[in-house]
Amino acid sequence: MMNRVLKLIALIAIVVCCLFPFWWLFVVSLRHRVDIFSGPAAWPSNPTGENYTDLFGQYHMGAFLLNSLVIVTASVVISLLIGTPAAYALARFDLPTKLGSAGLMSALFVRMVPAILLVVPFYIALGKFGLLNNRLGLIIIYTGINTSFVIWMMQSFLAEIPKEIEEAALVDGDSRWSAMWRIILPLAGPGLAATAIFAVIATYNDFLVALTMTSTPKAQTVPVGISTLIGKIQVEWGPMAAAGVIGAVPIIIFASLVQRHFVRGMTLGAVK
Amino acid sequence: MTTGLASTPVSGMDAHSPRRPWDFDRLLPYLLVIPAGVALALVSVYPIFEAIRASFTRYLYGRPIGSAGFSNYVDVAQDPVFWQSMATTVEFVVLVVVIETVLGLSLAMLVLNEFRGVKFIRLSILLPMTIAPVVVGVIWRLIYSSETGFVDPMFTALGLGAPRVLSHETSAFVGLVVVDVWEWTPLLFLICLAGLQSIPQEPLEAAAVDGAGPIRIFLNHTLPLLIPILAVGVILRLIDAIGTFDQIYVLTRGGPGTATQLISIYTYNTAFNFTDYGHGTAMLIALLVFVSLLILVAVSLMRRASQRTS
Repeated sequence: MMNRVLKLIALIAIVVCCLFPFWWLFVVSLRHRVDIFSGPAAWPSNPTGENYTDLFGQYHMGAFLLNSLVIVTASVVISLLIGTPAAYALARFDLPTKLGSAGLMSALFVRMVPAILLVVPFYIALGKFGLLNNRLGLIIIYTGINTSFVIWMMQSFLAEIPKEIEEAALVDGDSRWSAMWRIILPLAGPGLAATAIFAVIATYNDFLVALTMTSTPKAQTVPVGISTLIGKIQVEWGPMAAAGVIGAVPIIIFASLVQRHFVRGMTLGAVK
Repeated sequence: MTTGLASTPVSGMDAHSPRRPWDFDRLLPYLLVIPAGVALALVSVYPIFEAIRASFTRYLYGRPIGSAGFSNYVDVAQDPVFWQSMATTVEFVVLVVVIETVLGLSLAMLVLNEFRGVKFIRLSILLPMTIAPVVVGVIWRLIYSSETGFVDPMFTALGLGAPRVLSHETSAFVGLVVVDVWEWTPLLFLICLAGLQSIPQEPLEAAAVDGAGPIRIFLNHTLPLLIPILAVGVILRLIDAIGTFDQIYVLTRGGPGTATQLISIYTYNTAFNFTDYGHGTAMLIALLVFVSLLILVAVSLMRRASQRTS
């Protein structure tokens, strides 16, 4: 009995620790500027939407959201289109061993290496092609990074589809190509959706690459936009909190959709 | 590492007419791999090539002004701030990885069994790591701030005096450790949970019947089975923690003084604020060699774990 009570208290404390910071962000985003300076509160005494209207009016949040939408969509779609076939080839065909493992290794390397190690050379390279502060430049980089992720995730999902299903189709006279489209792709659908959502979360959340490659709201993404608010308006906590809420909400929704696959997503398929 | 991907397919194209379906089928795997290979090469081989070149170049105000030989590397080796940042990074990484592993494993044990509301609790634990690290930074900036936060008032109410977490060297460092633990314990939690769920229950029950206590069962039976999977989580977190940047950029930018200047912040400042790409990339290459070794370890651990859980 004592044990159960202790466990219950522990569980409540854990949930509070995890969720209360989110609540705090939300509360500050709803408070009037004058109220914020009157001391902290766990509940907004007279809630207001002015921080949000300021955010979209004065602080370019609309532009940041649009940039993020374009960049995330383009890079995730392209990387799924080129990464999934590669994953299929690596999962199904006997590629020369060296080629297969070189491909997987470089994919893994791109995924795991800390971004700070790549941004300086990215910056020099994009500068050469005039792609700094440009959505296209970011799309190219994120497509490459996401492709590495797609290859690993999809390979792990495709390996779970029994080979016999395709072999049956091949015996029935299908070509490899049509077997791939007609049989495998539909079976891999849920895995593909999960992979896409993970890629969306990672790209939408990325900060360092976008921070270094962009300089104005013409190409800055949501996280970079949020960080510019901190520099400029050191003491205007309201809009900063509102920006945090807008940065977090889409991701929380997406994340709860793929909760079941989270371990696999975070360990690149190593742990299922 | 990647070159093989982009260059090999040509060899498969000789002799046979590509019109016959048999040939198409034979070529298919290579055709499927090429586009992804090119994309990967663009973001791995090419930037590393550029970085190596830049590390041997002398820069002034962001413009290359000639060859530097090994002088950038010598500068890095003799740069006390570089070594100080490395020491801070090691301290930070070791602290957060140890705390997150212990906490993550404990949490996983706590919610291993199904009970009412367990799904909600697992989702709650998951959330901090899903949102952008920048947003995590914003949240904790609000919490630590003396104007909007609850940390200072709480300490004041307890009669301890407001700590003003981010204004003092030690407390700022501890404050960042707390933020990282909040954000990334969920990763270790999830991996431990998946690992614990994949362990067969019969041997544990048999040991319990034989009279072994819970601590003995954990040490002798659970932990050895869990370690291959736990190792994957620890090394992934370790590699990731070395590159910690976003939250620090938002919360302290490396300050006060250089108390929270991890290597990523120092490299960023060197390259982009002082536009010394040569010095910056030389640091990066040195770090890259080190991280690549860790990644190799990670790969072999992941292979083993993958065989275990599939």
